[in-house]
Amino acid sequence: MHIGVWSRALTLATAGVFIAACGGNNNPTQNLASPDKQILRANNGTEPNSFDPTQQTYTYERAVGVQTFDSLFRAKADGSDIEPLGATSMDVSSDGLTYTFHLRQNEKWSDGKPVVAADWVYGWKHFLNPALAAGYVDPFFDLTIKGGANYGNVDGTKQADVDAFLNGLGLSAPDDHTFVVQLDHPAAYFKWVTTLWVAVPLRQDIIEKAAGGSFPSTDTTKAEAWANNAATIVGNGPYMIKEIAPKDHVTLVPNPNYWAPAPHLQQIVYYEIADGNTAYSQYNTGALDMIGVPLADVTVVRNDPKLSKEAILIPTLSQYWISMNTTRAPLDDKNVRMALAKSIDRDKLVNDIEHGNGKSLDTFIPKGMTGYNTSDNAQSFDPAAAKQLLAQSGKADQLSKMKLLTRNSTASKTLNQFLADQWNTNLGVNITLDVIDSKTVTRDIRKGQFDIYGLDGWIGDYPDQQDWFDIFVTGSCHNLNWGCLSDPNYDKLVSQADGDSNKTERAQLYTQAQKLLIDNAVVAFMYQPYEYDLVKSYVKGLTVTTTDDQNLPGDERYNTAFITQH
Amino acid sequence: MAVIAGRPARGALLPPRLRAITGTRSGALAIFIIRRILWMIPILFFVILITFSLMHLAPGSPWDKNGGRQLSDTVVHNLNVRYGLDKPVPQQFLLYVWNVTHFDFGLSYQYQGKTVSDLLLESWPYTATIGVLAFLLIIPVGVGLGVLAALRQNTRVDYITMGFATIAASFPNFVIGALMVVVLSVLAYKATGGNFYLPAAGFAVDDSLIMPVVTLALLPIAYTARLTRASTLETIRQDYVRTAWAKGLPERLVVIRHVLKNSLIPVVTTLGPTFAFLVTGSVIVETVFAIPGIGRAFVTAIESRDYPMILGTTVLFSLVVAVANLIVDVLYVFIDPRVRLT
Repeated sequence: MHIGVWSRALTLATAGVFIAACGGNNNPTQNLASPDKQILRANNGTEPNSFDPTQQTYTYERAVGVQTFDSLFRAKADGSDIEPLGATSMDVSSDGLTYTFHLRQNEKWSDGKPVVAADWVYGWKHFLNPALAAGYVDPFFDLTIKGGANYGNVDGTKQADVDAFLNGLGLSAPDDHTFVVQLDHPAAYFKWVTTLWVAVPLRQDIIEKAAGGSFPSTDTTKAEAWANNAATIVGNGPYMIKEIAPKDHVTLVPNPNYWAPAPHLQQIVYYEIADGNTAYSQYNTGALDMIGVPLADVTVVRNDPKLSKEAILIPTLSQYWISMNTTRAPLDDKNVRMALAKSIDRDKLVNDIEHGNGKSLDTFIPKGMTGYNTSDNAQSFDPAAAKQLLAQSGKADQLSKMKLLTRNSTASKTLNQFLADQWNTNLGVNITLDVIDSKTVTRDIRKGQFDIYGLDGWIGDYPDQQDWFDIFVTGSCHNLNWGCLSDPNYDKLVSQADGDSNKTERAQLYTQAQKLLIDNAVVAFMYQPYEYDLVKSYVKGLTVTTTDDQNLPGDERYNTAFITQH
Repeated sequence: MAVIAGRPARGALLPPRLRAITGTRSGALAIFIIRRILWMIPILFFVILITFSLMHLAPGSPWDKNGGRQLSDTVVHNLNVRYGLDKPVPQQFLLYVWNVTHFDFGLSYQYQGKTVSDLLLESWPYTATIGVLAFLLIIPVGVGLGVLAALRQNTRVDYITMGFATIAASFPNFVIGALMVVVLSVLAYKATGGNFYLPAAGFAVDDSLIMPVVTLALLPIAYTARLTRASTLETIRQDYVRTAWAKGLPERLVVIRHVLKNSLIPVVTTLGPTFAFLVTGSVIVETVFAIPGIGRAFVTAIESRDYPMILGTTVLFSLVVAVANLIVDVLYVFIDPRVRLT
């Protein structure tokens, strides 16, 4: 998932990591507010660009998507494995190429019709339609699904080509309750791909009705006509959309036909307040029950006797780093890159700039995931060693000509100024900030036109290491691998690990790959951000997990949450 | 364009039947309005041309994200095909103009499956409501304060009024808005235990309108008050006003009938652009108070390079400005009998 959501308060922490469940009373039978008061008002920040989950890419879109549509599985609360949603179980063939999903019996759409396997085939094909060019297809078409490899070569304007591609995909429905997916090669991580918010069933009859009849696969306008109207957004998720007030809020109510017991929360209102300070005022005047704390107000909240009790600090499955262009001298020298990496005091960064909302981390995989391993301290803060490395390289003068490409936002400028100061203080090099318009930064890094760029980072799509290591494989230059690293050893390790069904072996391969990344200082790893949220004391029973939306703690399991009398 | 008299009546060379129409005051007015409306077509064409060029000169594509993982080249290619961005830019321009003549402003890139017309209709009513309310506040308050200050020139009333105007004009509205939120929402909520406070954000037809309307209106009020004061001061020194006083007319009549009517001409001139400014939305006010209006939508569109939305909003704004100016010019005719339409 994109970390590009900078504005969404990346925000505090001391050493102690904890997930609070907001006070003691989590027993819904006690002090429960009446059903008409079971309303949760949260700030989702921005209006989704689409309510069609297959077309969603940003966190604020997915937040609505996961309430309205269920995928086959989801991550367990502790992230250790998957657990059933739309499917109750799956079989994997011995060659690892055929996945048979046994769909939930009696699962119904929000309009009461049964969910059948054909809906899954239709939904996945809608998602993989090259003409629609969905933003989040990467985990799917990187040669994983049979026939998907050709995705990039299909001309989205030629109906015959699009149809041939879609018909050639390894997706089938042998009966109403069986959905079969064939893969191109064994992929040990594929079960996690089925947890993504984009991999959902869709209703062909409703989409066609909203479009005014059946339409060619190349018609992108008709294909999305259904998704802007609450009445035609018929989903299989726990909630359904009752109202879309554009750029103001989305109101969700329980799906009466959902398979699980009815939830306590009778209404969820996601406001779309872009300005963190405005949301903070709304929280303080009782108009919101849940917000992300804006960076500017973190200290105020910490020191406020009442607010500090309502605050929760959540580690996110994310990591930030600095990208260095390994094709430009002197950054092509490993020692120079390592000197840069070793001269940043990450604890100071987390405390001074992020007000403690995070954990300094000089390795790749964040805490809370398999693969978290801080034993490799090659990049750890050590000014003396850094100076020595730079002196050995003899390229200090050259390094002082380098520029740190910076997005034109307050958060980026503050952070990057800190980095430049650290390099100046600890390494004695003068690296200047190149602050430009955010879109131009994106254009430049895509073309590899930069010296040093940061901070960039990754929020995991799912707690599997493949999602992380694939970032730096050869040919993934649009995918955060801005320096276009091409290391055959790394590629070999990662591709081997991705396909390996043996857990232990797989973990070892990833560990070796991580060591390559760290020791070669391809990027300089910085810190794992934590989310600092405020939740009113009358909101109880939230199941807060690391895969929740950052500003919506507990959003993957609202069925346990409830409002007490207040 | 309105000009002061002194030229021969327009239409003198027209056939008698048309001359009869243009010869009358209302006929001249009708011709004037029609001509001005027709002029809007080339104006809009150039607005579109300039906006289109600037937009395509700005770096970055609509598909570049502000950070994080980017779309792969294949997806970018398919998106360009999907929205016609693979065609040469001049062709895109002509296509756009052609569509606009059919009232088709295209599909938004940012909001899937939504037309620009949908998006404009969605957000403009909010902005317009707040803008019109602010405008309704400006006329009595701004003009009233200005006249008051002029009539009591160099007294305490004058100093207080103009002091207020100076402060209101010099504080940026994001400061005023944020201060009001802190005092009237957050602190009031705390002090009264939630019994008496103004909503910090959101749009509803209730007390949540107070702070955004006031924030938006303050600067134009200050400006209008100063302008009214200056022009009233000039008017009250005119001979005919002295005559009115000498006739023994009561102050009320002197002010309303003789002073105000003439001192308002420059104020009316500015009210047109002010109205246009107010109803096209303020990004700051809309952001501070979380109002789903068009000002924010416009800025978001620019940031995300949502070309059709940028163009659609610009066309709408140009129309609003043109219409507001037209109305002002027509109003002149009624306020100032010397004005002739050409």
